[in-house]
Amino acid sequence: MTATNPPLAPETQAAAHAARQTQLRKRSSGRMMIFGFLSPTLAILIFMVAYPIFSLIYYSFFNFSALRQGTMKPVGFNNYKFLLSDPDLWDRFIFTGKFVFICVTLQMLIGIFVGYQMQKNFRGRDVIFTMLMMPMMLSPVVVGFLWRYMLNSEWGVINFLVSSVGFSKVDWLGQTSPALWAAAAADTWMWTPFIVLLATAAFRGIPETIYEAAEVDGASPAYRFFRITLPMSAPVLFIALILRLIDSFKQYDLFVALTGGGPGSSTETVSFSVAKTAFSYFYTGEASALAVILLVIIIGLSMILVRHLTKMGEKY
Amino acid sequence: MTHSKTSTMDLAGRWLVLGLLAIYTVYNVGPIFWLLLSSFKSRMDFFTMPPKLFFTPDFSGYQAVFGIGAAKDSASAVGVLDSLINSIIVSVAGTSLAVFFGTLAGYVCSRFNFVGKGDFMFFVLSTRMLPPVAVLVFYHLMFARLGLADTRIGLVLVSIFANVGLATWIMKGFFDGVPKEVEQIAIVNGYTRMYAFLKLVLPMVKGGIAATAGFCFIFAWNEFAFASILTTTQAKTLPVKISAASGATGIEWTQICAAGVVLIIPVLIFFYLIRKHLLMGMTFGVLGRR
Repeated sequence: MTATNPPLAPETQAAAHAARQTQLRKRSSGRMMIFGFLSPTLAILIFMVAYPIFSLIYYSFFNFSALRQGTMKPVGFNNYKFLLSDPDLWDRFIFTGKFVFICVTLQMLIGIFVGYQMQKNFRGRDVIFTMLMMPMMLSPVVVGFLWRYMLNSEWGVINFLVSSVGFSKVDWLGQTSPALWAAAAADTWMWTPFIVLLATAAFRGIPETIYEAAEVDGASPAYRFFRITLPMSAPVLFIALILRLIDSFKQYDLFVALTGGGPGSSTETVSFSVAKTAFSYFYTGEASALAVILLVIIIGLSMILVRHLTKMGEKY
Repeated sequence: MTHSKTSTMDLAGRWLVLGLLAIYTVYNVGPIFWLLLSSFKSRMDFFTMPPKLFFTPDFSGYQAVFGIGAAKDSASAVGVLDSLINSIIVSVAGTSLAVFFGTLAGYVCSRFNFVGKGDFMFFVLSTRMLPPVAVLVFYHLMFARLGLADTRIGLVLVSIFANVGLATWIMKGFFDGVPKEVEQIAIVNGYTRMYAFLKLVLPMVKGGIAATAGFCFIFAWNEFAFASILTTTQAKTLPVKISAASGATGIEWTQICAAGVVLIIPVLIFFYLIRKHLLMGMTFGVLGRR
């Protein structure tokens, strides 16, 4: 390229040189800014996330207890082998899976229904909307205790309501299956507002003209909902779904306050089990291995989420 | 005839929808109302069946939370006020620092393309997805070694880590909303990029910074898992104290309800202040630009 170009006049060369210099300086100042602005966050995250995760993986190959720090016996994959052949762990996964499935289904259905109603403009909409968001703003521990208090088999208000309409009282937190539903009800109470929030926003983002055109063509309300509203808001609803999947999968705080894992250990989620193995039994190596398994699943879910977030980021 | 038939169907449908909405509203608002009501009950009124809707209000729960009055000397109340102070210090310090770092990182992610940007963004977001118990195993050991266990500084550090990713993503969304021409014009006029950032761009995202702070505060304020494992006596935050309110005398329900109400109040204030930016923050800025 340069060989075929005619030689430049000295002044032009100098000007070009100066321009290149400023450009270089600009680029390097940009580089300084990137470095300077990112490094604190990067440092925190490396120290608080990357380093712990790599240590966790390292620990997971040892027979090791935090109580006896000196003795670390390398055991290879034995922790994983032990965990994966432990029927108790599969029970945790099955319980967590049931919990996630019930929660996410209920929350998506109710959230989309309520969100569809909330997209309309009506008097007092903002007040009602704010009120509906309140459960989401509570601490999960408070939510756990509040529901535990309401669900008390003797003097809880829920059994009072149940018996006042003629049903017999239920020992909600004392039996496995009611406890699962109770936990799902509490989680759904807390997080349906999140779906309502996202669904309302997504529905309101659909251009009015599309509905008007459909109305002219004589489309029924059901047709409009299933053929216009749902498909056009699908990306946002999908993000909501994945976020709820991840959050309910790692749910821990709620169970500490609501059931304490009981009755027995029947309402222990995988997260709960990690905490129990690590901080009640102090089987640090085994807990690390379980945490690694949990992480792999969550990172997989997160990657799906991020792919969609970036796709949406490009679209808008 | 078909006309009247459809209108009856429409009417029935409308009533069905209204009925379902009413049920949801009761499910949604009922427990909050019950929490507020119960926080004013005395121990006696608490366990009566059928539950009382009308009773003489009793402030012993609140007195225990703020460490005043007769409840001051009861064993379970000791340190509840301290834990409230811990909560305030940890969440305010954690939020400020997380928002500060997140603003810087969010700006760079919004304006520059650099090698590994996608990986960085994923890494940052992963902190939001990370199950606390996974890193807790390690923090437990690390904090003991560094002398950070049961200290406010340790919790502030955790709080920064837990929120800086969220802050970066939300702030990136707000910076994306500011036209790039702002910096270009400043640079053409001979100002540095730093000047453009500080004097031109930052004032334009003031509202966004406030909203981000609101979000981080809500999460920091309600955080439980880290605080419960990493504190033992000194640095307990209010949610941890609540979970420990079950002792030899049984669960102190009135105190729990009162502390629950105290916990919501600052969150509601923040919620009210950031209500316009709520969507943007919750969706990592993807929706906000419509």
